[in-house]
Amino acid sequence: MTAPAGLQSDEDVLVSTLVGSRLDHDLGHRLHHMEHDGTVETVRLETRDMTRRRLRVVTDRGTPCLIALPRSEQLFDGAILLLDAHRAIVVRALEQAWLRLRPASLPDALQLGYAAGNLHWKVRFDGGDVEVALEAPRQAYLDRVRDLIADGRVTIVETGA
Amino acid sequence: MNDLSPSRQPVPPHPANAARIGIGGPVGSGKTALIEALLPVFQRRGISVAVVTNDLVTAEDAERLRRSGIIDPARVLAVEAGACPHTVIREDPTLNILAADELDARFPGLELVIIESGGDNLASTFSLDLVDWWIFVIDVAGGGDIPRKRGPGVLQCDLLVVNKVDLAPHVGVDLDAMLEEARAVRGGSPLLATACRAGINIEAVADAICAAVLIRR
Repeated sequence: MTAPAGLQSDEDVLVSTLVGSRLDHDLGHRLHHMEHDGTVETVRLETRDMTRRRLRVVTDRGTPCLIALPRSEQLFDGAILLLDAHRAIVVRALEQAWLRLRPASLPDALQLGYAAGNLHWKVRFDGGDVEVALEAPRQAYLDRVRDLIADGRVTIVETGA
Repeated sequence: MNDLSPSRQPVPPHPANAARIGIGGPVGSGKTALIEALLPVFQRRGISVAVVTNDLVTAEDAERLRRSGIIDPARVLAVEAGACPHTVIREDPTLNILAADELDARFPGLELVIIESGGDNLASTFSLDLVDWWIFVIDVAGGGDIPRKRGPGVLQCDLLVVNKVDLAPHVGVDLDAMLEEARAVRGGSPLLATACRAGINIEAVADAICAAVLIRR
């Protein structure tokens, strides 16, 4: 039986603490064997969602998980949500998507840097390029610097990622 | 000076386990009114709640809630955000984390901390280091074109609340068009239309909060 949205059903897995990390030697060894048996399920999460302590997720095999962690614990790539004799559930962080922008000149870099700061974007730098962490659709970021792009003062560097 | 500890009494050790949600939005959109409407609903449902308010240089919203009689005044803490109300909910939410931790410690069994941002603009968003889930409140009287402006608050929140829908005929706003545009810019993410003063759709907002973060219920 499936519970209505928002309610807990008997099929849901309630996660109130993390079992550990798949990098732990003993746990990793156990998971390795369970993977051969096909009993390891995966939850894929966006990077930005990893800091939430409360969220509802569904594994790659359709198992609903209700995560309610104490604030002293935090999700991470490889966190084990459930591990028993029959099944394991492991978190996989989706790779952070980045938008790489290249200013044509120092004045253009100043203007791009100002825009990124003013818009509170999360950025990192690589050489003369700015990489913006995408936490919303890519076009929403491009729209904010469309004049710089249209004038050729900033170009988009396709990374293939 | 931030009013983090009204009683200034030692806080007993207690693990911080309550869910935390944020309520943000422009000045006058109805954030405090939404909380005032939600508190009796949570009380009826037996949910233990506390509130952190953020104001620029006063504790106006905290005092309003403390005087309201709908919540134990000790369960309301105020953070003075200074000139940048978005900074204390996004870039450096330390003051709000400390306030929520203190409420968690003071009230064992606390289930939900509501963190109300200071009135800001459409760009304000909550850090997910601070809250597990957040609402952005806009209002019909602020203009039917607000969704079209695609503010990050409107786009990124977990639930968009369009408040004061009962005022639409009086302020010349086509409510259906406004809601349709809001749905479009959010790509179908959740949205609720409310009138907090008239009690319209408050239960639905409470349901959404319970479904999102009060997972044991």
